[in-house]
Amino acid sequence: MTAARNIARRELRNGFRDGLRGFRVFLACLTLGIAAIAAVGSVREAITEGLAREGATLLGGDASVEFTYRFADDAERAALASLGDVSEIVEFRSMVTVGEDRALTQIKAVDDVYPIYGDLILDPPGPLAATLQGDPPGAAMDPVLADRLGLQVGDMFTLGEKTFRLAARIESEPDNAGGGFDFGPRTLLFTDDLDGTGLIQPGTLYETEYRLRLPEGTDLDAAEARLDQALPDSGYRWRDSRNGAPGIAEFVERLSAFLVLVGLAGLAVGGIGVASAVRAHMVEKTATIATLKTVGAEARTLFTAFALQIGAITALAVVLGVALGAVLPLAFSPIIEDRLPVPAAISVYPLALVEAALYGTLAAALFTLWPLAKAQDIRAAALFREAGGMPAGLPRRGYLIATGVILVTLVAAAAVLSGIPTLTLYTAGGLLAAFLALLATAWATRKAARRLARMDAFKGHTALRTALGSVGGPSGEAAAVVLSLGLGLTVLAAVGQIDANLRAAIQRDLPEVAPAYFMVDIQPDQIDAIRALENDPQVEAVEAAPMLRGIITRINGQDAVEVGGDHWTLRGDRGVTYAEELDEDTKITAGEWWAADYDGPNQISFAAEEAAELGLKLGDTLTVNILGRDIEGEVTSFREVDFSTAGIGFVLAMNPSALEGAPHTWIATIYAEPEAEARILRDIAGDFPNITAIRVRDAIDQVSEILAGVAAAITYGASATLVTGAVVLIGAAAAGTKARTYEASILKTVGASRATILGSFALRWAILGLTSGLVAVFAGAAAGWGVSVFIMDTSFRFAPGSALAIIVGGVALTLVAGIAFAWGPLAARPAQILRARD
Amino acid sequence: MSDTILSLEKADLTLDGNAGPVDILKDITLDVRRGETLGLVGPSGSGKSSLLMVMGGLERATGGKVHALGQDLTAMNEDALARFRRSHMGVVFQSFHLIPTMTALENVATPLELAGHADAFDRAAEELSAVGLGKRMNHYPSELSGGEQQRVALARAAAPRPEILLADEPTGNLDGPTGQTIMDLLFDLNARHGATLILVTHAPDLAARCSRTIRLVDGRLDRQAEAAE
Repeated sequence: MTAARNIARRELRNGFRDGLRGFRVFLACLTLGIAAIAAVGSVREAITEGLAREGATLLGGDASVEFTYRFADDAERAALASLGDVSEIVEFRSMVTVGEDRALTQIKAVDDVYPIYGDLILDPPGPLAATLQGDPPGAAMDPVLADRLGLQVGDMFTLGEKTFRLAARIESEPDNAGGGFDFGPRTLLFTDDLDGTGLIQPGTLYETEYRLRLPEGTDLDAAEARLDQALPDSGYRWRDSRNGAPGIAEFVERLSAFLVLVGLAGLAVGGIGVASAVRAHMVEKTATIATLKTVGAEARTLFTAFALQIGAITALAVVLGVALGAVLPLAFSPIIEDRLPVPAAISVYPLALVEAALYGTLAAALFTLWPLAKAQDIRAAALFREAGGMPAGLPRRGYLIATGVILVTLVAAAAVLSGIPTLTLYTAGGLLAAFLALLATAWATRKAARRLARMDAFKGHTALRTALGSVGGPSGEAAAVVLSLGLGLTVLAAVGQIDANLRAAIQRDLPEVAPAYFMVDIQPDQIDAIRALENDPQVEAVEAAPMLRGIITRINGQDAVEVGGDHWTLRGDRGVTYAEELDEDTKITAGEWWAADYDGPNQISFAAEEAAELGLKLGDTLTVNILGRDIEGEVTSFREVDFSTAGIGFVLAMNPSALEGAPHTWIATIYAEPEAEARILRDIAGDFPNITAIRVRDAIDQVSEILAGVAAAITYGASATLVTGAVVLIGAAAAGTKARTYEASILKTVGASRATILGSFALRWAILGLTSGLVAVFAGAAAGWGVSVFIMDTSFRFAPGSALAIIVGGVALTLVAGIAFAWGPLAARPAQILRARD
Repeated sequence: MSDTILSLEKADLTLDGNAGPVDILKDITLDVRRGETLGLVGPSGSGKSSLLMVMGGLERATGGKVHALGQDLTAMNEDALARFRRSHMGVVFQSFHLIPTMTALENVATPLELAGHADAFDRAAEELSAVGLGKRMNHYPSELSGGEQQRVALARAAAPRPEILLADEPTGNLDGPTGQTIMDLLFDLNARHGATLILVTHAPDLAARCSRTIRLVDGRLDRQAEAAE
């Protein structure tokens, strides 16, 4: 061990004296990969911390209790008041009307206690009560909505059947980030002023929220328990400041997990650079290793010595990467904070850095073990022959097993730490498959190039033939370039294909099958008039269903969340419907639909796919809390429900007698020709001002916009992977300079002009770039197909635009790197180069 | 046609070294006659190889004139020099200098191909057969022995039938018998095709096979030795 340590120390000393020349690509690749993961992790932690710190402001109180389309009754109000100060908020969607113009809005009706925390900033500035006071009553509006309707402060508009005055524009709403995704810009008014609008009727889809200011030092768990005890069957939803914006927190968590996966892909790309660097280093050390063996060094001693050396350089890369990853978010904190819709407490978060360091160390171990293990097989006899690179064949079995163990540990660590194990395994599998495909391609490219170089058709074209000869020749350059660049481009191609398909599914395919309007809050006495729209020649179809909102609270008498876990159907309230007959398009997959005049115990038909995910069986009982009342029923059938067409789809349907008595409204979807949309809206608005019409195209645009943001974030992440690929490429180009200088000198000697030589160099890089790009497009398309078909349940269509960009980009990148390093060899004087080799 | 195929007139070569400019060749004036075999001899560091490089246009003289086949090499740019060598000169080095990513056949065909010969590969194959490598044509340099590599280099230099053959210690890296074979091949080229052979060598017996030898000492021609010839 002492001998190994001494050898390692001397090697390191020499390395540092030389400015770590052979290890620059190694350091750059590893540092970049670690820094990217550390930076993403740090921003994630910063958002989590920011959300926690600002939880009360985002939530609008220390705790919030939510009811679905009802107000709290007196007993509930009393129970809430016993905990602290209470502020009541009502939220629902409605339509703002200005003359003939109508727009969807999310109404937020508040009391004079609002906001408990944070500041509501209005334009013109002033306290809310004073601003909204007057006759007609005032309302504040999101500037986007006011501008769309052409409203100036002081102008009038109608909500339902009542006129309001635009009193102010909302500059900033402290509790807006917590609400998540809203289909409409905000209109803010006082709850008392809702009287006379006709908007809140039995069955209207609205939510009430009671925000609590708790005495300082209140134990939130104890407060929640107290309320649960006082109101055991109220069907409310409790949230508190520890998780003020759960939707956003989860979104951030998911997005950063994705980005970490992309970062790991970057580390894999960098790993190729690392492996190449170590391999080249060990080849350079052939004489040293052979000499040491001659004087009695054992293989194990040599492995330890060089492993210590590489380990020390890895440690340096980890320190640099972690430092860079910690500093970057701090340096860019003003930009990051400005861009994020949520508060972020940018700081140094040790856990995120440790995670990045762990990935970096494991990746370095994975990619350096193989060349290190091979180097110890160099024989002392190598001294007496021309050094011909590393010995052929696999390393010893122990090292193969160790490589496997490190790989499994790395994937397992990523699966556990990312919180999305399945996707991590898919990603790891995808990367491994891409890696193998690229390896096979590199091999095939070499074979093909060698064969092509000998084809008669290419004889006489010196530049092309020498380029093909070089690609097909015995050096390892082709493999290193195709692997590193190909893997980087594959990640980018996969992101591009997935993004293009997701957008296509939403923007291109969905409007073709989706209805024009989604109408909610239709009173039972209005539904016949809506159905009558079907007689309109420009209306293709009208579908309608009664709509209630309910929370599935129990499964077979047990707490639903305990049985079904974090399934989306159990999160908050869901639409519930009743129907006498089964819709003709719907298929029962198990059990039986109730008879037309069935009047017995309650029966439930559940969506088949979701039932399978929840583990439901026929005969199970479900308890659904609707309007504070528990309704129990037996699952008697499963049916297919397609949620992808934006039509009416209910997870849970019951027999009519179970729900008919409860106050409810109807929802309807109207399928109409695009040019008829405006007229239909005008007609309905005139006749039924309480009905809210959601234009599906608007909703699709909004979803598309969010997706575009997500895709942009992931593309940035994937670009970081490509940067690492570019570093490896530059490393390969730089490493080959010596060989190309030699080649150029010989070619000049036998009469080649510089243009011919440059052409040959450019062609060989273009061939490698084209190959990498083509494989990346195929691998990316395969990944895109997998994600589209298996994860997103949509069809896959190859996106040629993204593919072309990848191929052109691949060729351009290799050409730039290759040509940048061609000038040295081109300018070299052959006499000196050739004589130096004599 | 003039009898002089290559001439140097007060040619100098000064290169930049770490400790300042180093005079490699000084005031070299020399005529080489068509078809002769000229041996360049002298102690290590005397400038023999540099002189050969200057003659081949691989190194540009920093002073004086170098003419080959009536053309002024010192006035040509790098590409013009390359084109000139392609048609008129063949060079053989001590360390062979084959392109490692090309097979023996491809190495030999390259200068022919550059010169625009449609039958480059056929001629290359013939040339390789002539040096006894008919069965090793598709081998890479790393798969050939030193002697075989030098034979490939020789075939490459001879294939375009150059008027001038420059050889820089072509047997320096080879054992005695192998070196002998190479030299026989070189002199045979001179005899069969009338190529002018200029040979740098340390070996007295090789120098003795040349029709004329000139000696360099410290970058200058040793006129006394020349006179004694």
